[in-house]
Amino acid sequence: MNNKQNNKSQDQNMEKLKEIPKWTRKYAQNRTLTIPVLMVMGVLLIMFVAALVGFPLHLAVAGFRKGNMVLGFVGIALFVAALAAVLIFLIIFISKFCCKNSGLIEQLVEQRIYGKEGTASMPLPKIRKKNIWLEIVFSVVFFICFFGSWYLSMKGYIASKYLQPISVFYIVPLLVSEYFQRRPRLGPLFLIFPALYTIHAIVIVAGVPIFFTGNLCMFNIFLPVVGYMFLAYVICHVYSRYALKKLKRAAHLEEGGTDGA
Amino acid sequence: MELDRIVHEPARLRILMLLSGIDSADFNFLLSTLQLTKGNLSSHIEKLESAGYVKVKKTFKAKLPNTTYQLTKKGKGALAEYWQQIDRIRQTG
Repeated sequence: MNNKQNNKSQDQNMEKLKEIPKWTRKYAQNRTLTIPVLMVMGVLLIMFVAALVGFPLHLAVAGFRKGNMVLGFVGIALFVAALAAVLIFLIIFISKFCCKNSGLIEQLVEQRIYGKEGTASMPLPKIRKKNIWLEIVFSVVFFICFFGSWYLSMKGYIASKYLQPISVFYIVPLLVSEYFQRRPRLGPLFLIFPALYTIHAIVIVAGVPIFFTGNLCMFNIFLPVVGYMFLAYVICHVYSRYALKKLKRAAHLEEGGTDGA
Repeated sequence: MELDRIVHEPARLRILMLLSGIDSADFNFLLSTLQLTKGNLSSHIEKLESAGYVKVKKTFKAKLPNTTYQLTKKGKGALAEYWQQIDRIRQTG
């Protein structure tokens, strides 16, 4: 009887041990609060760049329209300077943190947030030339579709309420490709983000009025992107806490087996 | 059938299992997850390193020394072999 019980508890212990790699992997993949920080920083950067480039352009157009050539040329000069600054920044940024050193910023931020827990990292995704080109193509298509749909909406060809549902066709593929590019560092829970974004679009098409009109229509895409991104990453982060708890339970050592003999 | 004594020790087995799920982990992660003392963990790691099962990498992170551990091919093989042996024992016993 005792033997049977011993065997059963040993079997349970073995199964518990075999779960360690699974929970370690899930924990490491979902320590995601580093990535949203980076992405929000990216969104803010894009907004800043848009303002940096848009303002002098607006100034130049207004100057030429009113016949104020000085204002027009000052606007053009500022526009060129802003573009040059953005270009220089991109060159420095790409040379420092992309390609060979990709993941460096991520590591630095991660150290700040999860420092006490130590670091457990998944392998970096393999950088292949084909993947880089794919990423560039996806980004170019994204920007063309984004500004194109925006332009068509301003011209009245697309109702502003359909901006978000249309954006699903170019944002979701970009996000899904991002997931495949960053695998295995990024876990499948990341896909909550495109899934929620698609559900939001379906709900709008079904007639639920969760959209902005008029001057606020730019938020139709911006708010769901930022909101669902955060929601997805918070879910990932909470899941990483759960995985850590499970991992600690699985890796818990019985007394007497720790002396390093 | 003789079990690999290096792997069979509970703390070392857990270290290897932890490292098998990921690319690398640092000392603090192993310490906080396994809840061992620093001395114990160091001594286990030393044994695993000398057996060639774990690769130790010493770097600097934000100007502070950071030691990371990675399972080697030999370590992966030893771990797989160990589980095969255990499964065989469980089946026959």
